[in-house]
Amino acid sequence: MAHQMHAYHMVDPSPWPLTGAAAALLMTSGLAMWFHHNSMLLMTLGLLIMLLTMFQWWRDVIREGTFQGHHTPPVQKGLRYGMILFITSEVFFFIGFFWAFYHSSLAPTPELGGCWPPTGITPLNPFEVPLLNTAVLLASGVTITWTHHSLMEMNRNQTIQALTITILLGLYFTALQAMEYYEAPFTIADGVYGSTFFVATGFHGLHVIIGSTFLIVCLLRQIKFHFTSTHHFGFEAAAWYWHFVDVVWLFLYVSIYWWGS
Amino acid sequence: MYYKFSGFSQRLVGAVAAAAYAPQGLKPLASTESPALIFGTPTKLASDSPAAVSYLDKNKVPDLQKLFQKADGLPVHLKRGVPDQLLYRTTMALTIGGTIYCLIALYMASQPKSKK
Repeated sequence: MAHQMHAYHMVDPSPWPLTGAAAALLMTSGLAMWFHHNSMLLMTLGLLIMLLTMFQWWRDVIREGTFQGHHTPPVQKGLRYGMILFITSEVFFFIGFFWAFYHSSLAPTPELGGCWPPTGITPLNPFEVPLLNTAVLLASGVTITWTHHSLMEMNRNQTIQALTITILLGLYFTALQAMEYYEAPFTIADGVYGSTFFVATGFHGLHVIIGSTFLIVCLLRQIKFHFTSTHHFGFEAAAWYWHFVDVVWLFLYVSIYWWGS
Repeated sequence: MYYKFSGFSQRLVGAVAAAAYAPQGLKPLASTESPALIFGTPTKLASDSPAAVSYLDKNKVPDLQKLFQKADGLPVHLKRGVPDQLLYRTTMALTIGGTIYCLIALYMASQPKSKK
């Protein structure tokens, strides 16, 4: 193997950025085809290629780090910066939707009846399922911290148990939200209330699903002995992302569910 | 002045005495492995122990490390051989085929009269 005189990671040539870009092309064009030409083929193909790309790209990162030892301290520092910056960009993504919500709800137009919630909208009771959802996510924040400490203290069984509970709580949240969506007395088409509600909570729900998937991957890696008590950045990244998802929910709950009702 | 290791910035930062004397996450090194048992015959699988289901997995990481560090000149996305190649070829075939189909579809969609 070639030897390097530095601690950084010169990555092997990889086809995944190209396939990922192609997936983006196919998904966006496919969206247009679906909207205007009644065909889902292109969009589905794009989604499939995106999933294949994600699987293989991140599989390669695990190979490079865990099996080939490329994730030296400076490399790990770069990965930390990367994850923090990515989460920051996601924060700004959500800020946009909160901006839209407050824009419409702080000064409701006459078309809405001059009030918020608008005339004709029966909002969900914030002290029923939404409050349960809040408790579920807060509890999952506790269990993921438990997981981390168990991992650092080399307690394999507790790490696996705590991480499993965290994932189950995340799935429980998703199931509860899905049920709420189904039972809600208003839809996305019900004016600006419906739009802001479903777009903001919908993107949040998507992030919960992404975060749960990330945690499931971490669970599988933990079972397969990938993590050590001092080196487990993949798990830390998942934990950061999960806390971010939790915080976004708290803002959603206070703003849209509670204040907005 | 006391210092602690910040897990976030990965270096030493100022801290109060309490954090320096009782670092977070550092516990006495109590091994969770049972002490090496000496039998007349060699011990067999970990699955024999009454521990949690997760112990059924043996630690294959050292073997995988050897596999992925073989000096065969293969890039990491093909390092495992045939399964990697199959997945790569499938992905690339879908990518190239899909891109061509996309360009054709976009060309056709941009024609004024024929709305297909």
